[in-house]
Amino acid sequence: MSDWAQTIADSLKESEISLITGVTDSSLSILINLLREDSYFSVIPASREEEAIGIAVGSYVSGTKSAVYMQSSGVGNSVNALASLCIPARIPIPMIINLRGDIGEFNIAQVLMGKVTPQIFDNLNIPTYILDSDVSLEDKVTGALKLCYASHQPLAIGLTPLLHGGKSSK
Amino acid sequence: MNRYHAIQKLMSIVDEKVVIVGNLGPTSDEMRHAMHRDKNFYTYGSMGLCSSIALGIALNYSDKVISFDGDGSVLMNMGTLATIGRENPLNLIVLIWDNEMWGQVGRQFSHTHYQTNLEEIAQGCGIKKTITVDNEDDLEKVFVKALSDDGPYVIVAKIKESEYLSVAPVEPEIIAFNFRKSMIQNA
Repeated sequence: MSDWAQTIADSLKESEISLITGVTDSSLSILINLLREDSYFSVIPASREEEAIGIAVGSYVSGTKSAVYMQSSGVGNSVNALASLCIPARIPIPMIINLRGDIGEFNIAQVLMGKVTPQIFDNLNIPTYILDSDVSLEDKVTGALKLCYASHQPLAIGLTPLLHGGKSSK
Repeated sequence: MNRYHAIQKLMSIVDEKVVIVGNLGPTSDEMRHAMHRDKNFYTYGSMGLCSSIALGIALNYSDKVISFDGDGSVLMNMGTLATIGRENPLNLIVLIWDNEMWGQVGRQFSHTHYQTNLEEIAQGCGIKKTITVDNEDDLEKVFVKALSDDGPYVIVAKIKESEYLSVAPVEPEIIAFNFRKSMIQNA
């Protein structure tokens, strides 16, 4: 089922966020493919997560709202762009992040970055909303996106296996 | 070639709608000293992202977008040349001021002083219109051509590092706000 992905896509559109850039992830790919099929969205695959932040900033300052996608491992590649560009310039970038390393994880290399991702955002004073079910999903996502632009700063939306089923080792 | 002198020359050529994104440090300082305008987007941190920001602007803008990047910055984020090659924005000009060193932080030679050829890397990313120039006349010629031609262009301008101007005001929030306002008014 991909109702969660359709809900997020609808919330992005309702918030007039049309340029989506990032580095892919197997769970997020359901959402990314949905966005690619919708001509409202431009999906720009980046080579690295920090680059995606740069592209999103360029899009926002030219008048087109932009969101970024990545898995939690990519948050480590994004910290300086957030701390030295988005935050001092007060540029709102919603980040849709698949939190690896949670229950059901099979790969030890994903565990630590997944666990510390909310802590990193907390240290950067970036609000983080974790989605672990589809209860009130649209209200949560649309509300988080509204807050991102109201507060003029980046904001993270974390997706978990309880929402989307996770990635199997098979 | 001297970067500040060349920046003054090139900025006197561009019309008011052209966007210029500046790499952090001396390049952005020199842009601001040469000609401060709302469509200059200076960066103060996030080294490596100058051309990525310019790409994000170019994808949403009908006029030309120029990235005044540097060799050290491009070396840090060469993947963005691949993304530019893939997206093929016709209105983007990446001008890499190549002093073959990390100039502001101790003047150690960078990789472009040795084997790394950024023009060839751009070619390898599918960017067809590339050139390396080592004097201001040649730079001006290709720059004028690129302004009226479909890109993307990657121009590597070999420069000799010189003394730095005073640091321009560091005001990222104001720059981003005024830049965005001017872009929305233009739309």
